[in-house]
Amino acid sequence: MPRSLPSSSRIRTAFRSVAVAALLGLASPVLAAGQITVGVGDNILGLDPTDLNDSVSLSASRLFFQGLYGFDRNLKLVPVLAERSEVNANSTEYTVHLRRDVKFHDGTPFDAAAVKLNYDRLRDPSNRLKRQSLLEALDRVEVVDAFTVRLILKAPSGVLLNYLAHTGASILSPKAIAQYGADISRHPVGTGPFVFASWTPDTLKASRNQQYWRQGLPRLDGVTIRSVPEGGARLALLRSGEAQFVFPLPPETVQIVERDERLAIDKTPSIVAQYVALNTTRKPFDDPRVRQALNYAIDKAAFIKVVYNGFGTPMDAPVAPGIAFYNKQGVWPYDPAKAKQLLAEAGYPNGFETEIWNFSNTLNNRASQFLQQQLAAVGVKVAVNPLEAGVATTRLWGAKTPEEAQVRMFFGSWAPSTGDADWALRPLLSSRSYPPALYNLAYFKDDAVDAALQKGLATADPAERKAAYDEVQKIVWEKAPWIFLSINTLVLGRDKRLVGLSQLPDTSVTYEEAELK
Amino acid sequence: MLTFVLRRLLGALPVLLAVSLFVFGFVRLLPGDPARLVAGADATEQEVASAREVLGLDRPIWEQYLRYAGATVRGDFGISSRTREPVFEVIAVRFWPTFWLTLAAMGWATLIGTAIGVWAGAKRGRWQDQAVMLAAIGGLSFPGFWLGLLLINLFSVHLGWLPTGGFDGWSSLIMPSFTLGLGVAAILARFTRSAFVDVSGEDFVRTARSKGLRERRVIWRHAVRNALIPVVTLTGLEFGTLLGGAIVVETVFAWPGLGRLLVDSIAFRDYPVIQALILLLSAEFVLINLVVDVLYGVLNPAIRLRS
Repeated sequence: MPRSLPSSSRIRTAFRSVAVAALLGLASPVLAAGQITVGVGDNILGLDPTDLNDSVSLSASRLFFQGLYGFDRNLKLVPVLAERSEVNANSTEYTVHLRRDVKFHDGTPFDAAAVKLNYDRLRDPSNRLKRQSLLEALDRVEVVDAFTVRLILKAPSGVLLNYLAHTGASILSPKAIAQYGADISRHPVGTGPFVFASWTPDTLKASRNQQYWRQGLPRLDGVTIRSVPEGGARLALLRSGEAQFVFPLPPETVQIVERDERLAIDKTPSIVAQYVALNTTRKPFDDPRVRQALNYAIDKAAFIKVVYNGFGTPMDAPVAPGIAFYNKQGVWPYDPAKAKQLLAEAGYPNGFETEIWNFSNTLNNRASQFLQQQLAAVGVKVAVNPLEAGVATTRLWGAKTPEEAQVRMFFGSWAPSTGDADWALRPLLSSRSYPPALYNLAYFKDDAVDAALQKGLATADPAERKAAYDEVQKIVWEKAPWIFLSINTLVLGRDKRLVGLSQLPDTSVTYEEAELK
Repeated sequence: MLTFVLRRLLGALPVLLAVSLFVFGFVRLLPGDPARLVAGADATEQEVASAREVLGLDRPIWEQYLRYAGATVRGDFGISSRTREPVFEVIAVRFWPTFWLTLAAMGWATLIGTAIGVWAGAKRGRWQDQAVMLAAIGGLSFPGFWLGLLLINLFSVHLGWLPTGGFDGWSSLIMPSFTLGLGVAAILARFTRSAFVDVSGEDFVRTARSKGLRERRVIWRHAVRNALIPVVTLTGLEFGTLLGGAIVVETVFAWPGLGRLLVDSIAFRDYPVIQALILLLSAEFVLINLVVDVLYGVLNPAIRLRS
């Protein structure tokens, strides 16, 4: 139906809608000043950030919570509840000076004791919190004075502050922790820009924190987050004016939003890498030439265009450009002739048959089918087997040893939420990270890589860390345990009047500076 | 009749017990590791082990079963592994949206379904009959998500009359219930028509006509009432099915109902919620069958209720 109706029928429509609205007792979608509604694709599962691992819930919890550190929109580490910190020469003691003007939503003052209580709570394995490993490097937390804490580590670490900046290491009100106990995930009390109002199954409501420590912020009076699982319905939510912001926007609906003059699209380069892990312990993927051949066989630009409607850039290093210590290696060129030649050299002149798995969803299946077609062109026959989430847990982590592993090719992605090279590389490429320990689905093992990853983790000296991660990225790029595909662009649809909203490259959203003009 | 109802309710208890045992084993036959799903893909081994303890899955299976059975008998359905809320609350807050959606959908369905069914039956063999039945087949084969998105685009995006989804006031009930009801209306229309045609040939209808009653009265007082028995059976069954949640419609309209809860819980291997939902569904069917049996007696006093 066209947008602009002839004027007479528009008037009639208006009359009719008023009549119907009156009849049904409807409020027309006129906004209360400064109130916004946000449509997201999944349900919020909880609001205790230390016990969450899904991005929708973590993102929502950022309305209420903050940590000592955080990331700005370029994923640069910035102090939030901390003012500054010092580290000793061998990177084993961090002294953090805290802000003095902060109060929790319930009036409790924020101080060193609150930090100690929160960190001790998170890292104690008997509390069984989902984010406990963020602080596993800590040996103990000492209160130096009311606004200074000292964090003493078990071993030297250069990435501690990045872990403190993770939403999972947010600081909760000590009073609320004592008061609500196991029910804390329904009662978020933090220091953040918004205070909790209500939460029914699909709708979370937050209102402005009048006592917020940052002067003049937040600018919005309230935020409502609604979960709308269907992409088309999410688009309708935005177009009907019921929501001022929706995420994610299915790639194929972006054009519709662009055509609507009231709406705008925001694009943020993500730090999420899309790649295919090749099981390097199994024939034929044990031969580096085969793995290189597969990298030559894929047209990355076409992959991004076909699967993600062009919203992405080809990977040019094992980590995304937004990650600290990213070192550009250059894109693997698309060269099917070279691919065939390498396959022939490796003893597979007629290609081979194999299987690719993914976590089944529309985009992952589309991606796998695209790879299947391109690999067929160089003689590699790939069977596509999308895995239901539960089945995937058995298939991927069920193998206790590399010998038991059934995986051949796995198409998937990795979002390193600390923004640092360590968490972008070590869980995926260290030989200590084989499933079930972590996520090295390529079962990649390289002694130089292992050593450099340990070195990068164990020092806080940026120059030494850079050298270590330069080496890792160079070796991994050449040995190609993955087919390096794309770094996707996050696409967010919003009402043009809503400005100042920022989406971080790890998909989380900050409403602090957003306003409705 | 009260004795009848009480006896039937008592008789349902062993059925529910058997269902609860069966479903306990059944959910554990599904492939997949709930602890890994809870902990996430980027979890360390320690975090997965913690999740396993939280879920009680580190215990021997017989111990898990005894705990579950004991708690269920006391009316305690455990804690959801997905949201860490008591299962009873998880289900309770989603039950009412599903209940109202079902009721409204069945309202549309019976209204549209029986009306056009009777009308087609009365005009049987004529073009109106064929046109209406063709439309009914169309209604049956309309995919819910397509009709739903079409309605949203028309009434929410272009006209701005109705909210796109969610359960927020009665106006939000209109589109989802219509979408859901239309498919059922189509089934009911076809069923009503054939029941009506069968009954129309009966002696008592001829008698009514030969008494000189007006056609309208013959149809509605004599024929329809007797044709309703199979229709009531079908309505009961459809009602029960819809009460289990309507996955497609709930997804399109972001409806906070039981259908999406069941699908999400299965994807997450949320054993306690799956178990409780299936138990609830079984209980609902037992109740609905009972109501249907009672209605038989109301519609046709010749049917006696005996246990």
